[in-house]
Amino acid sequence: MVNIKDDFKDLDLTVGDVFSKDARLKARNVNVFYGINKAINNVTIDIGNKEVISFIGPSGCGKSTFLRCFNRMNDTIDSCRIEGKITLEDENIYDDKIDVVPLRARIGMVFQKPNPFPKSIYDNVAYGPRIHGLSENKEHLDNIVEESLKRAGLWEEVNDRLLSPGTGLSGGQQQRLCIARAIAVSPEVILMDEPCSALDPIATAKIEELIHELGNEYSIVIVTHSMQQAARVSKRTAYFHLGKLIEVGKTKEIFTRPRHNQTEAYISGKIG
Amino acid sequence: MNKKRITPLEATNSVKKSIVKRRSKDNRLKLYGRIAIGLAVCFLLFLFYSIFTKGFPGFFQYYVTLDINFDRERIDPKGDLSDNSLFDGEASKIVNESLFSIIEPKGRKAKKQAKKIVSSGKDVRIAKMVKNDPSLFGTITKVKFALDDDIDSFLRGYIKRETPESERRVSDKVIGFVDKLNQDGRITYEFSDYILKGSASGNPEMAGIKGAFIGSMLTLSVCLLISFPLGVATAVYLEEIAKKNRITEFIEVNINNLAAVPSVVFGIMGLAIFISIFGMPRSIPLVGGMVLALMTLPTIIISSRAAIRAVPPSVRDAAYGIGASKLQVIFHHVIPLAMPGMLTGTIIGMAQALGETAPLLMIGMVAFIVDIPNSVMDPGTVLPVQIFMWADFAERMFIQKTSAAIIVLLGFLISMNALAVYLRKKLERRW
Repeated sequence: MVNIKDDFKDLDLTVGDVFSKDARLKARNVNVFYGINKAINNVTIDIGNKEVISFIGPSGCGKSTFLRCFNRMNDTIDSCRIEGKITLEDENIYDDKIDVVPLRARIGMVFQKPNPFPKSIYDNVAYGPRIHGLSENKEHLDNIVEESLKRAGLWEEVNDRLLSPGTGLSGGQQQRLCIARAIAVSPEVILMDEPCSALDPIATAKIEELIHELGNEYSIVIVTHSMQQAARVSKRTAYFHLGKLIEVGKTKEIFTRPRHNQTEAYISGKIG
Repeated sequence: MNKKRITPLEATNSVKKSIVKRRSKDNRLKLYGRIAIGLAVCFLLFLFYSIFTKGFPGFFQYYVTLDINFDRERIDPKGDLSDNSLFDGEASKIVNESLFSIIEPKGRKAKKQAKKIVSSGKDVRIAKMVKNDPSLFGTITKVKFALDDDIDSFLRGYIKRETPESERRVSDKVIGFVDKLNQDGRITYEFSDYILKGSASGNPEMAGIKGAFIGSMLTLSVCLLISFPLGVATAVYLEEIAKKNRITEFIEVNINNLAAVPSVVFGIMGLAIFISIFGMPRSIPLVGGMVLALMTLPTIIISSRAAIRAVPPSVRDAAYGIGASKLQVIFHHVIPLAMPGMLTGTIIGMAQALGETAPLLMIGMVAFIVDIPNSVMDPGTVLPVQIFMWADFAERMFIQKTSAAIIVLLGFLISMNALAVYLRKKLERRW
């Protein structure tokens, strides 16, 4: 294993402490290109174990693109090319030997728009365990579904209609269903791409509470447009601007004493 | 340049002025639309009116009831009811005797003409009856026989008494015989048992569409079995798996072009490849189905691709995000959601194939085939080709038969479209 501290250059690009003592995901000098456009410029950051970290920044700054590098969702875009290295438990996920199927089982994802499958609530949650062969029998699968729905705080609301369509739920419920679906395969990391941007304040509050609880078990990376949300749910915050990682630090410090003038401009509402 | 600012009052006034003009333009557009729809509906009604008024009589024909003496020795000389024995029997003679006993023709010439009143299928009819029910032997039973097509046309009024005898297909003498039968109440106008149960025949009164109908079914089954899986697989590959590059673009353009190729070209290709190179027999539904499959493939591919493209990307993201493989995403999510659209496209393609004549003429499905095909390897014909052939025949009675066959074809088409609508509705209900 290469010493990570020697493994990257241009630290002066980013202000703050990009490293974590107990890192689960490590990104080193990651560049992402769409065709000839560089969307992410030399980003280095650690995601800690059982840590909630939020990515903030103005629209188009590349935070979602960078998030999608962690579970290789960018692979589905033909023109997208990635340079650099991202490791999960010291294993390079962009290695040729790595199969994306088990990787995505380890790194779950929740999308901006709630996107339950057009199937029943039960089938939505059971889909992951089914395709990965996680359950031994029907009873075990039932348990996984129940447990996941409980952890997503949805069980009380849907336990009497598990077989009705998942698309018939309200927006907030759908998003919690998507979270239940993601945690049903017992991932190590959950990536959330603006999970509350399509929801009303009450549903948002519920999801935030949920993220807070899940943060005790999983590493969670959340991309958000709302600085208040970042302040409420995360311990660490990373600020992106024009494809560069400008500043990383404890959430409290970023919002109270930003060290970089661009970060300050953003959180005080001057850019963005 | 006029840089004067328009005051609100001026603006209001000019809007008021123009509004009348705009309204009348709107109304005119509405009127044009209504005229267009009205015309289309008129044409459609006229089409249906002419087909149904001409076609319904085609399902009926004139019959004569005769008392037949089922004499076993004469009908079945060997007594074993075999085709051979029945062929040697004198069924026709018995029918003629019964006929002569009523109309009493005098002389050889009169008898010869009288014989022709009853359709030539009379012996086959008797053979069929005794085979189904041997207890008929020894009885005298009333049996209905189809009248010859000329007599049928005369009774329908297409051949007129006023026409001079020399220009008429039915002689005065025969008209006298028919009148006699009519007075006896022996001539009836009934639902034809040949049109739906018979197959191609040179005698219009015995011609039916069963052979062509079964030929159509066999051909369409082959077509569906080939084109649906191939079309869906192609669409899935092009949309979900293939990288977008020059080659896929080239393939895409070519598929779109193929959809516009005249169908007769596919027929020539089928003739050149399946029959000349592979040496497959002519006139068989298998080759017909293969040619039609080539013709419908572009339609199915294009509509399936549209259906796949209409599947929201969020569903794919969700499935990929949870770790589904490409195959799982395609089979668990994309295909089920795209299925209604794919089926609609397929059935439209099948309806197109059902009505196709030209490519099948090329591969010899226009042959005159009396036997009903039992498998895709038996020579046969299809409904539109049968219609095409009948429309070409000279006998007056084929006009009604042709229209009747058109009604059957239309019924077939409408039921296929109804099936498409039903399937789409049913599959869409699965959210």
